[in-house]
This record gives sequence, C-alpha cells and structure tokens, in this order.
Amino acid sequence: MTMLMLGAPEAAAPADAGDEYEAVEGLDRETIECQRSCEAVAARKTASDYEHIAWAYGVLWSLFAIYGVMLWRRGQRLRGDVDGLKARLDRA
Amino acid sequence: MMARLLPVLLLLVAALIFPLAVEGIFLGVGIERQLGTVQKIFYFHVPLAWIMMLFGVVCGIAAAVQLRRQSRTAEAIAIAAGEMVILAGLGVLITGPIWGHASWGKAWTWDARQISTGLLWLVFVAYVLVRRYGAAGSERLAAALAIFGAVDVPIIYYAVKIWKTTHPSNDVVGSLPPEMWAALWPALGALLATATALVAIRARQELLEMDLDDAWVRAEDLGAAAAGAKGEAT
Repeated sequence: MTMLMLGAPEAAAPADAGDEYEAVEGLDRETIECQRSCEAVAARKTASDYEHIAWAYGVLWSLFAIYGVMLWRRGQRLRGDVDGLKARLDRA
Repeated sequence: MMARLLPVLLLLVAALIFPLAVEGIFLGVGIERQLGTVQKIFYFHVPLAWIMMLFGVVCGIAAAVQLRRQSRTAEAIAIAAGEMVILAGLGVLITGPIWGHASWGKAWTWDARQISTGLLWLVFVAYVLVRRYGAAGSERLAAALAIFGAVDVPIIYYAVKIWKTTHPSNDVVGSLPPEMWAALWPALGALLATATALVAIRARQELLEMDLDDAWVRAEDLGAAAAGAKGEAT
C-alpha cells in the first residue's frame, strides 16, 4: 500500500487498470525500502530515547516532590510540637 | 521575615523559569548529532551534578564552622545542605545510568567519575545518619565526614582529567554552542532555585527544632520548679 501511494515503478498500476496512480520518476523500490528501514531505525531510537528521557525526568522531579512532602510533614510535626509546648506552658 | 520569604521567592522564580527550561530543551535546541534525542537528559543531569557538588562544599564548610564555633546556624545549614547532597546525588546517580544505558549501551561503567560520585553520596548518607542517630558527641565525627565529602568534590571534577573515563572531558560544557547554553541556563536556574529554597526551608526547620528542644527542657525545669514550690507551700 505504501508503495502504491508513493508510486514506486514496480507497484504502479497496470496499464489497463485506469489512471488511478501515476508512477513517480526517479524513485526505485530499493531506494524507498532503504529510506523506510532507516526511518524505522531512527523512529525506534527516538522512541527509546524519549522513554529514557521520561524515566530520567520523572525520577528527578519525583525525588524533589517526595522531599518537598517530607519537609511539609516535618513542618506540620514541628507546628504540633509548638502547640504542645504552648499548652504545657499554659498549664504551668 | 526575609528568611521566611526567601524560599517562597525562590520557588516562585523556579516556577517561572521551569516552563522556559522545558521549552528551551524540547523545542528550542535541536537534536544533538552524535547522541540523539536522549542527550536532552544532559540539561538536568549536569546542573543536578553541579548542585550536588555545590551543596557538598557548603555542607563541608558549614560543618567546619560548626565544629570550630559551635554555631547553630552553621549546624542547621550543614544538615540541610547534607540532605540536599543526598537528594541531588540520588538524582545524578539515577539519571546518569538511564542516559548511559541509552547512549553507551551500559548503565554503569565503573568509571572514576561514577565511583567518586557514588562515594560522595555514601559519605553524605553516612553524615546524615550520624547526625540523626549518633550518640552525644557524634557531631565531631559527622563534621569530619562532611569535610571528607567536600574534599571528594574536586576529585569528582578532576576525575575525567586524571583517569581514563567514559564521561567526556570537562571542556565539553565550555564548548557548547549558544543554543545549548540557552537551554542549560534556565534548567540550572530552575533546579538551583528549587534546591536552595528546599535547603533554606530545611535549615529553618532544623533551627526551630533546636529552639524547641531547648524550650521543652526549660518548660520541664519550670514545671519541676513550680511543683517543688507547691510542695514546699503545702
């Protein structure tokens, strides 16, 4: 189908099939297949690269977010401690 | 007041710069010819390594000051910076192997920079553990660990010069084209502002915790004195 769309000579419609497709001159099947295989390799590499990037950035910002949450929880605990101290001093 | 506002301001700055960094990295700068798309990890991996080294030195200096002058502020800064070294170091030690897996085909190559970075991380983990769980008087040991960790920082930097490593030389960053710097600066700014804000918050918490400990001791003393006076009166 791709070949037909690109109008490779081998894939061109037979003469009696009407004028549906017109062959593109200067592109042979071998060149197109070579290009497609290069594109497939590049696409696989790019997909793998993006997967690695997503993991790296995800881990990085998760670490910062987790630390932020830990600091927030510590702040809450300290606030509770201050309240406890105030209550203690009021009782005294 | 300023100490309370500083982290908020820094986090605001980071929130403003971060979208610029993402825009620069993914849309502004092209795909690097040799490493491909995965090279974009560089824009956070390298600043994170710089931040790890910066706070390693800050922790070492603050620990030395604390050791000499018994300064509470220095102690709080040392603890906060030590925790940031662990956080940033963990980020470096995770993002690095992810990048290495994609571009070298191997996550860990045991090169000198990786080993010295791993060592730095372990030293600061030890520092924080000693600070948190160490017995009375362990502050000196903790300070010595922090100073030792700070000494490891130049070793990480010069590791690629001294030994043969899979990491590129330090000159690579200096020779980056302007469009890569245009993406690197905002990434560094966003990460540095976030890291500094977190260190400032943590240092304030540590100071508050020390003051609270003192206040509790005084409150206990006051309570005991009040109970004693009541006993005498009856």
